[in-house]
Amino acid sequence: MNARTLDSSHLTGGQKLAIKYFTVAVILFTAQILFGLISGYQYLAPEFGYNVLDFNVTRMVHINALVLWLLYGFIGGIYWLVEEESGTELVGLRLANFAFWLLTLAVTVVVLVFLFIQTGPGDMSTLWLINEGREYIEAPRWADFGIVVCMLIFFWNIAATFMKGKWSGISGVLVLDLVALAGVYLAGMVYTPNISVDQYWWWWVIHLWVEATWEVLVACIMAWGLIKTLGARRKIVTTWLYIEVAMMFGSGILGLGHHYFWIGTPEYWLSIGGFFSALEPVPLVAMVVHAVYDSGVHKFKNSNHPALAWLIAHAFGNFFGAGVWGFMHTLPQINLYTHGTQWSASHGHLAFFGAYATINIAIFYMALQKWRGNVYMSAGLEGNGWKWKWALGLLNGGVVGMTIALLISGYDQAFIERALGGATWAAYFDAQNGVWFIQGLWWRQLFGFMTAAGLIILIWDLLTIGRNEKRSIQLVGDNTAAEVTS
Amino acid sequence: MFEPVEIDDLMIAVIAGALVVLFGALYAFSFAMAKLNKERWITVVACCIFAAFSASVFVLARALHLDGYWQSITVAMLLGYLIAPQAIWKLSVGTHESSD
Repeated sequence: MNARTLDSSHLTGGQKLAIKYFTVAVILFTAQILFGLISGYQYLAPEFGYNVLDFNVTRMVHINALVLWLLYGFIGGIYWLVEEESGTELVGLRLANFAFWLLTLAVTVVVLVFLFIQTGPGDMSTLWLINEGREYIEAPRWADFGIVVCMLIFFWNIAATFMKGKWSGISGVLVLDLVALAGVYLAGMVYTPNISVDQYWWWWVIHLWVEATWEVLVACIMAWGLIKTLGARRKIVTTWLYIEVAMMFGSGILGLGHHYFWIGTPEYWLSIGGFFSALEPVPLVAMVVHAVYDSGVHKFKNSNHPALAWLIAHAFGNFFGAGVWGFMHTLPQINLYTHGTQWSASHGHLAFFGAYATINIAIFYMALQKWRGNVYMSAGLEGNGWKWKWALGLLNGGVVGMTIALLISGYDQAFIERALGGATWAAYFDAQNGVWFIQGLWWRQLFGFMTAAGLIILIWDLLTIGRNEKRSIQLVGDNTAAEVTS
Repeated sequence: MFEPVEIDDLMIAVIAGALVVLFGALYAFSFAMAKLNKERWITVVACCIFAAFSASVFVLARALHLDGYWQSITVAMLLGYLIAPQAIWKLSVGTHESSD
C-alpha cells in the first residue's frame, strides 16, 4: 500500500509557516500537561522537587506554556487561512519567518531561565531579565518587548496581505482584532509600585487580551472553519460573526468588573461587574438557538470528522466552562468566598480547554488534511477513526474530571477557609488539610493522567491520520461549488 | 453595598447559579426545537423550562440577597434569557432567507 506522505510542496508560504507554529504549539501543549502533572503532584507530596523545581516554578511553566501554545495555535491558524481568504500571497513572508524564530528563541530562553535561574535579587534587574512577577504573564520585560514586536509584525503581515488581496467580513474583524492583540498587551508592561493600580492594568491583559481579543480571533477561525468543514455559506457566517462579536463585547468588556471586586478599586465596580457578569452567559445561551436552527436545516454533512467533532467540543466546552462554571461564582455575594480558591482553577481548566484548546486542535486536523494532499477525513476512516475518537474522549473526559475534582476542593476551601474561618491564616491550613480538599486533588491528579493519555493518542493520530488513505477529500456545501467553478 | 451569602445558603446559591445557565440553555434549546418542528407540546415544555429557570433565578436572588439595586440583575437575567433566544431565532430566519 502506498502511504500518503506529508507533502509541503502544495502548501502556500503562509501555510508552511503555520505548520511551524502548529509544531511548536504541540510541543508547548505537551510541556503544559507535563508541568501540570508535576505541580498537581506537588499538592499531594509537597516535598517533591523541593528546592530544585519548586511549585511556584512548575505552576508558572504550566500556565505560561498554556498561554503560549494557544497563542502559537491562533497565529498558525491565521497564517493558514490568510492567503486563501485574501486570494493573494502572504506579504512579508521572510519577516514573518524571522518573527517566528525570534518568538521561539525568546520563549526557549525564557523557559530555560524559569527552570534554571528561577529567582534573582529584589530589584529591577530581576524584572527585566528573570521574571516580571505578574501571574500568567511572568515573562521578563525584555521578552514582553519581543512579544509586542512579533505581534506587530504579525499584524502587518495580515493587514498588508488583505490590503493587497481582497477584503472580506472575516478579514475586517480579524485585522481590527489584531490591533487590540498588540495594543492591549502593553497594559501589562507598565510598572507601578501601587498593587491596586498594577492589578487594575494587569487584568486588562488577562481579561481583555485573553478573554476578549482571543475570543474574537477564535470566532474568526471558527467562521472560516465552518465554511471549510460544513460548507456553510459565507454571507451567513459573516453576519453571525458580527452578531457574536457585538454580543461578546456588549457584556464582556464591562464583565471585566468581576476581577475588580477585591483589588482595592472603587465600590462601583461591584455593581458594574455584577450586572455585566450576569449577562455574560446570555450570548452563549442564545447561540444554542442558532446551533439548533443550523443543524435542523443543514444537518451535519462535513469534510473533516475530527475537526468538526472538536468544533462541537468547543461549543459545549465554552458554554459549560465559561457559562455555567463562570456564572456559579461570579456575583460578589458569593465570589467573596470563592475568589482565588480551587474553584477559580476549576473554572479556568474547563473554560480555557473548552474555549481555546479545542479550536486549536480542530485547526490542526484541518491543516493536516491539506498537508497530506487533501486526504479523505469524513466517515469510515481507517480503524473507524479510533485514535481521534479516543483522544477526543480522553482529553475531554480528563479535563471535565479535573474540573469537577477541583470544584469539590474549591467548595471545601470556600466553606472552611473563607465562610467559616473568615480567611485567616489558620483557616487556610484547616481547609488545606480538609479530607474533601485532599481527595479532590487526588482525583484531579488521576484525571490529569487521563488527559495526558489523551494527548499522547492525539499526537499519535496527528502524525498518522490519513497516511494509508487512498480517497480524496469529500467536499460539501458551498465548497463543492467553489471547487467546480475554480 | 451588598450582603454576602449566608453560610447555610452557600450550596443553594451555587446550585441555583448553575441551574440558571443550564435552564436558560434548555429553554433556548426547547424554544428552537418548538419553532423548528412546529409542535405545540414542545412549546409547552419550553414554557415549563422557563418557569423552572425563573424559579432558579428567584432562589439565587434570595440566597444572594439581591435586594435594592441588585434586583435589576434579577430582572435583566429574566428578560435577557427570555428575549435573546427569540431575537436569535428571528435573526437566523432573516439571515438564511436573505442569502437564499
